[in-house]
Amino acid sequence: MIRAAGLFVIPLIPLVYLTYAVMIAQVNDPIKYIYSITGSTAIVLLLLTTFLSLIKKYMNFIKYRRMIGLYGFFYSLLHFLNFYVFDAEFKLDFVIKESLDKPFVYLGMISFIILVFMAITSKKTLYSKYYKYHRLLYVVLVLVTVHFVMAQKSLSIIQWVYLLVIIILLGLKFYQKKNVLFKG
Amino acid sequence: MRLNHPKITQNDITPEELFNKRRRFLKLGAAAVVANSSIVELLAKDKYPTSNLNYIKDSNPSDLDLSTFDQITSYNNFYEFTTSKEKVKKLSHTLNPNAWTITIDGLVEKPFQLDISDLIKKFSLEERIYRFRCVEGWSMVVPWVGFELAKLIKLAKPLSDAKYVRFETLYDEERFPDQSRGVFSSIDYPYVEGLRMDEAMNPLTLMSVGLYGKTLENQNGAPIRLVVPWKYGFKSIKSISKITFTNEEPLNTWQKANPREYGFYANVNPNVDHPRWSQAKERVLGKFFKQKTLMFNGYEKEVASMYKNLDLKKFI
Repeated sequence: MIRAAGLFVIPLIPLVYLTYAVMIAQVNDPIKYIYSITGSTAIVLLLLTTFLSLIKKYMNFIKYRRMIGLYGFFYSLLHFLNFYVFDAEFKLDFVIKESLDKPFVYLGMISFIILVFMAITSKKTLYSKYYKYHRLLYVVLVLVTVHFVMAQKSLSIIQWVYLLVIIILLGLKFYQKKNVLFKG
Repeated sequence: MRLNHPKITQNDITPEELFNKRRRFLKLGAAAVVANSSIVELLAKDKYPTSNLNYIKDSNPSDLDLSTFDQITSYNNFYEFTTSKEKVKKLSHTLNPNAWTITIDGLVEKPFQLDISDLIKKFSLEERIYRFRCVEGWSMVVPWVGFELAKLIKLAKPLSDAKYVRFETLYDEERFPDQSRGVFSSIDYPYVEGLRMDEAMNPLTLMSVGLYGKTLENQNGAPIRLVVPWKYGFKSIKSISKITFTNEEPLNTWQKANPREYGFYANVNPNVDHPRWSQAKERVLGKFFKQKTLMFNGYEKEVASMYKNLDLKKFI
């Protein structure tokens, strides 16, 4: 029970922090800051959902996977809204033009559309029908990693470390999947 | 009806000592109110530095809305320390801008080296309130203090075949931690920038040694930096240690790192997008709503003629 409550509250910490940073501490470049915090939180949470099945043998958190995944989607929604409301200032033509024009933007956009689909079909009644498509999350993880790298002007050491963690996790996942396939 | 004069007893009279104490207390209160407002004033002053430079003020004729000292000194791109704009301020204490010599060489009558303080003494300083637009899409307005680069060029006496000016940031791994990170460095060092001679001679082009009336903070490129207000911020190279006159277009750091995205000119242009993001608007520091970016960052009148034969879509 406490564990469930903790898992429910912890993913909200970045949002509380972001609200504080933007409204009270008044960071210099709020739009950019919202992108950074919501984007990195979404990536971490989405990675975590795939990580849960990896550690299932030692700690079984599978029943929280949907909730953490939905939190990941929630942060990606905030990320998208930041683009639509503050960056594009509600101009749909700007959103469409940028999405068609710039790889950096359409990688994010494709990922977001997949996540919308996954969030909707995560409802119990739909999940049984659509769960196989939830493997699209791996596509999302690859796309958002590229999107994240493209958001930087150059990579610093901390970002290399971040990238390394992502690659190792994805590698482990694929390795595990392969084993499962071979074992039938 | 009987008027009942209350009898004043000895107990009702405030003892003199207490009476005085009360007066003192009231005085103290009044003093506290005064002190409070002067403290507020002091605090407000504290947000802006005490001026330590003599310079001619800019009357700000276009009525630009200045960014605060705190904004200008807390959000800096200075990859020699870190790629995090928020962390530069804290990390830049190793810069040591007082022990600094500047070399002027290349195609000049006589190359020379000068201590930074001796160089600055040669020029009278003036304030220039300029828009500053970063290629990343954020912007601010900065009251720089400095002197025109043209004056320095006259002092350097370039030869007639000098067509470009090349600038270099100091290379010193002790002072700039990212320079010692080898393959993990965020960019190539030393940082290099360049201007065409006519751009360098333009009266807008400034060698800045201060802002808000005070010597430059380390994070803003102490002790001396370039300011080219109609170009993206990365052209305005910080902490310069060498100025070379040359007949070849210098290969600037960002062009070298990514020629598809960054060129030699880097003129602010709302009509030519960065491959990854739009340049039509900018995020003014501290504001939630974007504003339109102006052609040549609002300095079209002063600089457009220099580029009339240049395809601005091609020469980014």
